[in-house]
Amino acid sequence: MLWKSLSDVAGRGAAIVQCVCFMDVFSNHVLQIQQCIGPSMLPTFNIRGDILVTERLSVKLGKIRVGDVVMARSPSDPRMVVCKRILGLEGDTITVFYHLQIPKGHVWLQGDNFHKSRDSREYGPVPSALLQGRVFYRIWPPQGWGFVGRIPSQSV
Amino acid sequence: MLWKSLSDVAGRGAAIVQCVCFMDVFSNHVLQIQQCIGPSMLPTFNIRGDILVTERLSVKLGKIRVGDVVMARSPSDPRMVVCKRILGLEGDTITVASDKGGSTKVKIPKGHVWLQGDNFHKSRDSREYGPVPSALLQGRVFYRIWPPQGWGFVGRIPSQSV
Repeated sequence: MLWKSLSDVAGRGAAIVQCVCFMDVFSNHVLQIQQCIGPSMLPTFNIRGDILVTERLSVKLGKIRVGDVVMARSPSDPRMVVCKRILGLEGDTITVFYHLQIPKGHVWLQGDNFHKSRDSREYGPVPSALLQGRVFYRIWPPQGWGFVGRIPSQSV
Repeated sequence: MLWKSLSDVAGRGAAIVQCVCFMDVFSNHVLQIQQCIGPSMLPTFNIRGDILVTERLSVKLGKIRVGDVVMARSPSDPRMVVCKRILGLEGDTITVASDKGGSTKVKIPKGHVWLQGDNFHKSRDSREYGPVPSALLQGRVFYRIWPPQGWGFVGRIPSQSV
């Protein structure tokens, strides 16, 4: 009796572990649901935190383009994930208050909110290896449901 | 007959997918086996490629110390993983010797570390690309399993070649 209960629990435990494993692999390699909180991507995304779908393949295949919105690990705080737009790729020249060429293996990240965003204007070009994925779809708020484009958009 | 074969194949396919999933999760979050190829970590590691065990937890918990050997994604090539020693953490000041005989001091900014290969003369590291964001660190190399005469823990100072 006890043996059967233990083996049931073990069976369900194994099923849960398998589910969690699969979800971890899926969100690391295919699609992830994330929130973008804060003012740095206004007016495109809201302060309170839009819910976005990030795809992992473009970054892994090196197929990121200027204008893409990406999730990246912050260069100044490894525990933080930031949501910014790519305004330049390696080799491009960015004009901030001066001309800057983006070195090999780096990108220029900038928030759509020119005045309230900590981005490459503060921490410089960011190694592409920090990019996690490309934000391509918004699922919340409902009136903002749809694809995320390569130019800033009006608030919803 | 056909249905039973298909369901056998599906069963084995599912088992393989589960194995692969589990191995992927394990190597991303717990332990990974990796090779360190090239001259940059001589004499501690060999050119041909020692096989090392990397643990993922220290980096995830932010418990990396000066002297640790780490695997990190290269800041100059996102597809490359490099194997270097941590010579400084955020806030530390590193003194870099320059080829002309002088030296410069670099203060490591917040969220960054200084990576340097044990091979002073043949290593492309922070002396070339500057302090590296800690978020590029993948794991701490703590054990060597190949070559056999080098079997053992990887310490926080460079060691003799094996």
